[in-house]
Amino acid sequence: MASFGKGIPDQIKRLSVVVILVLAAFFIGRMLLIPRDFGRYDHFRASALFDVASQEVEFAGQDICTECHDDISSQKANGYHQGLSCETCHGPAAKHTESPDEVTPFKPSGREYCPICHAYLASRPTGFPMIIVESHNPMKACTVCHNPHDPKPPQIPRGCEACHAEIARTKAVSHHVYIPCTRCHQTPEEHKVNPRTYRPDKPKTREFCGACHAEGSTEAPEAIKIDISTHGGRYVCWQCHYPHLPEAR
Amino acid sequence: MHELYAILREITGYIYPNEVELHWGILIVVYPYITGLVAGAFILASLVKVFNVKEVQPTYRLSLLTALAFLIVAPMPLLAHLGHPERAYEIFLTPNRKSAMAMFGFVYAWYLMAVLLLEIWFDYRGDLIRLSQKEHGLKKWLHRIILLFSTDTSEESLKFDKKAVKFITVLGIPSAFLLHGYVGFIFGSVKANPWWSSVLMPIVFLFSAIVSGIALLLLIYMVTTLMRWKPIDMKCLDKLASFLFYMMIIDFSLEALDFLHRIYESEESIKILSQLVSSKLFVSLVVIQLLLGMILPLVALAATKLFPIPDELRRHIYFISALLVEVGIFTTRWNVVIGGQLFSKSFRGLTAYKMTLLGIEGLLMAIVLLLLPFLILYLLTLIFPPWPEAYETPAEAEATT
Ligand code: HEC
Ligand code: HEC
Ligand code: HEC
Ligand code: HEC
Ligand code: HEC
Ligand code: HEC
Ligand code: HEC
Ligand code: HEC
Repeated sequence: MASFGKGIPDQIKRLSVVVILVLAAFFIGRMLLIPRDFGRYDHFRASALFDVASQEVEFAGQDICTECHDDISSQKANGYHQGLSCETCHGPAAKHTESPDEVTPFKPSGREYCPICHAYLASRPTGFPMIIVESHNPMKACTVCHNPHDPKPPQIPRGCEACHAEIARTKAVSHHVYIPCTRCHQTPEEHKVNPRTYRPDKPKTREFCGACHAEGSTEAPEAIKIDISTHGGRYVCWQCHYPHLPEAR
Repeated sequence: MHELYAILREITGYIYPNEVELHWGILIVVYPYITGLVAGAFILASLVKVFNVKEVQPTYRLSLLTALAFLIVAPMPLLAHLGHPERAYEIFLTPNRKSAMAMFGFVYAWYLMAVLLLEIWFDYRGDLIRLSQKEHGLKKWLHRIILLFSTDTSEESLKFDKKAVKFITVLGIPSAFLLHGYVGFIFGSVKANPWWSSVLMPIVFLFSAIVSGIALLLLIYMVTTLMRWKPIDMKCLDKLASFLFYMMIIDFSLEALDFLHRIYESEESIKILSQLVSSKLFVSLVVIQLLLGMILPLVALAATKLFPIPDELRRHIYFISALLVEVGIFTTRWNVVIGGQLFSKSFRGLTAYKMTLLGIEGLLMAIVLLLLPFLILYLLTLIFPPWPEAYETPAEAEATT
């Protein structure tokens, strides 16, 4: 025994004990602590699937709301908010459906909730109803004027910028600033009430722009003239020039 | 919900819905900052052993302890950010080799156990044996357990300690590079993010780590020496400042190279990135990181080399420069981590970062995590006294004063 490990320095012997203990702890830990079903499907515990499945359901879905709130459901089904689920605004309401009198869902009152979707933001799709919260009828709760289950602007907006703010702002700093929207888009008055049902038209031909830009055209003398038969080949003009912010560079 | 709306008001341009809120906040800024200090402090220590730079010998043990103190804190920001620290050990039990982040656990464990603790153990062994023989009670036992009851102070075994330290240091340099290069790797390998995705990232991280580590030790050395009422070794300080200066030049050139490369490449992201730099990151990147944290200290340090400046003034210049460098490197981390999340992947919009004060991911937590290593360092100096006077017999002490 004494001759065993004679040449090995004392330090190494002592440290080896520690290393062996650490490694042993690691391997015993692995044996004891790794769940048996780990890795059966992939790098996770197979029974985690059941754990997740057994979690309490928080959302009820909106079909069940109809059973007791059919008036509101049918109101919503025909309005602008038809695409929103009840619990988008009211929060998880599964408990409420089980005991409606004891648990009542959250009601988003005030002015802070609706702007999550309606505050002006350039990245929202064109035509999406947006407001500048600070200046849109300040101080009053949104629901004073808008029924959340069937929202309508109390009066028809006059300008296109109410709904097409981004385009309106873009055009306002462009060479086309003095051309009204309706010069290029014939817009039925109903478009402002039911925009998806009544659509304005859009320019379709090269000649449309040519009315002001073709050589010899007279409508806008200050517009730069081009040879419409050759300029830009056979493509329509807005494949190269954005009509709301035309650039020629 | 209301918080979300508050951020919505600061958005400019187009941004996707899932980019509005930042997911990596101030804690993830603190994390690479701290690991950087670890790597930097360790590499400074290696200079003494591997490259035999005698002048900085007084900082050797201090560097090791500093590296250890910061290394202990390094994973804490991650644990606080992820939540569930009680599950952290699981990444060791079931290693996921496909995840760079999961492998960090092993890089960390290797660095802590195989490099730092071993090097400290071998380096202190002889001294601690002598010390424990003079001590009583709890402290004696603590030291004896740390020593693994080793008592051998023969010439031969002390020689072996020296060899072992040297070997571990040689092994430690690539390990330190790995530890911090790894952090850069995590960011550099995010393909979808043009602010991060760059092969230079690990290298830039590494050199800024070395810069921050040397600056930190310069500060710690000055403060601890003053606190012990000892004279500052100007040769050591000059050498530290020189290293700091050269490392800063390398770091600066690398960052400039990265910058030029981006501008020359002018990928489609360049517009939004320049917008980012000139608006949301202007103060933290141009003013603090570049001007205050890099150019000003570089000029100041260069001045100490060019002109004969009296010791007293030179000390002040070093101190302030090192302090500025620390702030600068912190904003470097900030600009990488926060900056990389401020612009939209559509390259058309910018969002804002709302830092909270309280809470597990708030500013206070970050401050606590940045101060904690100093407390740990203080405790470590009690157990492993880094200064020669701790090992002097009373007679020797009398002779030196
Ligand atoms: C079993 C019938 C039932 C179902 C199903 C049900 N509710 Fe109700 N709900 C009620 C009753 C009853 C009230 C209480 C009316 C009262 O207190 O005035 C109520 C009240 C409410 C209120 C008003 C709470 C208040 O503070 O005024 C909201 C909001 C509401 N329900 C939302 C929902 C939503 C969303 C669902 C679908 C997930 C739903 N409910 C499903 C019966 C039901
Ligand atoms: C756009 C958000 C939104 C959606 C979607 C929504 N609600 Fe509401 N709901 C509200 C708000 C806001 C109030 C509070 C109105 C008030 O304070 O006057 C409210 C009030 C209610 C009330 C209380 C009674 C009343 O009329 O004031 C009930 C019941 C209710 N909602 C049920 C529903 C059900 C059922 C659905 C789905 C069919 C639904 N809500 C969808 C926002 C919404
Ligand atoms: C989850 C997103 C969301 C929330 C929250 C939301 N809305 Fe809406 N809202 C919509 C959508 C989607 C439309 C339909 C837009 C369309 O048809 O293009 C709409 C339409 C509207 C309109 C019709 C605008 C028009 O063009 O005439 C009004 C008014 C309105 N919402 C008010 C509100 C009010 C008030 C609230 C708060 C109680 C609210 N919305 C909350 C998504 C939301
Ligand atoms: C004092 C009444 C009043 C209040 C309060 C009010 N609105 Fe309106 N809202 C209107 C009127 C009137 C219009 C239509 C004319 C216009 O565009 O201003 C309108 C239009 C809208 C539109 C459609 C935008 C468009 O141009 O089609 C949205 C969306 C809207 N409001 C959301 C809100 C939200 C969200 C709140 C709460 C923060 C709110 N409103 C508060 C009166 C109100
Ligand atoms: C009440 C809000 C509202 C107002 C006011 C409004 N629009 Fe629209 N507009 C819409 C919506 C919603 C769409 C559909 C967007 C979509 O389908 O993506 C639309 C679509 C359009 C389109 C594209 C049609 C297509 O087929 O692609 C044009 C052009 C247009 N609007 C022009 C105008 C003009 C010009 C005005 C002013 C005279 C105006 N709109 C006023 C809401 C409005
Ligand atoms: C110089 C003529 C011109 C003017 C002025 C003009 N448009 Fe257009 N607009 C066009 C053309 C051309 C298209 C593109 C048609 C296509 O792509 O098929 C278009 C497309 C659109 C579309 C649908 C595509 C899109 O970009 O979302 C909307 C909505 C629209 N315009 C709204 C407006 C509004 C609102 C104004 C006034 C603020 C306006 N336009 C002014 C020429 C014009
Ligand atoms: C009602 C007359 C009119 C129509 C229709 C019209 N434009 Fe213009 N356009 C102008 C005027 C006026 C200018 C501005 C001249 C100036 O710079 O003062 C202009 C400027 C331009 C410019 C030059 C911008 C620059 O950078 O100098 C381009 C490109 C252009 N329009 C493209 C188009 C296209 C494409 C269309 C068809 C979608 C179109 N225009 C339709 C009147 C018109
Ligand atoms: C294939 C792309 C393309 C198409 C299609 C196109 N353009 Fe252009 N357009 C350009 C380019 C590029 C320039 C700037 C270089 C130049 O002056 O030729 C330009 C310049 C112009 C100018 C300014 C000329 C000047 O001298 O400054 C006008 C006006 C114009 N286009 C109108 C139109 C109109 C109207 C149409 C449709 C009939 C059209 N463009 C179609 C590419 C196009």
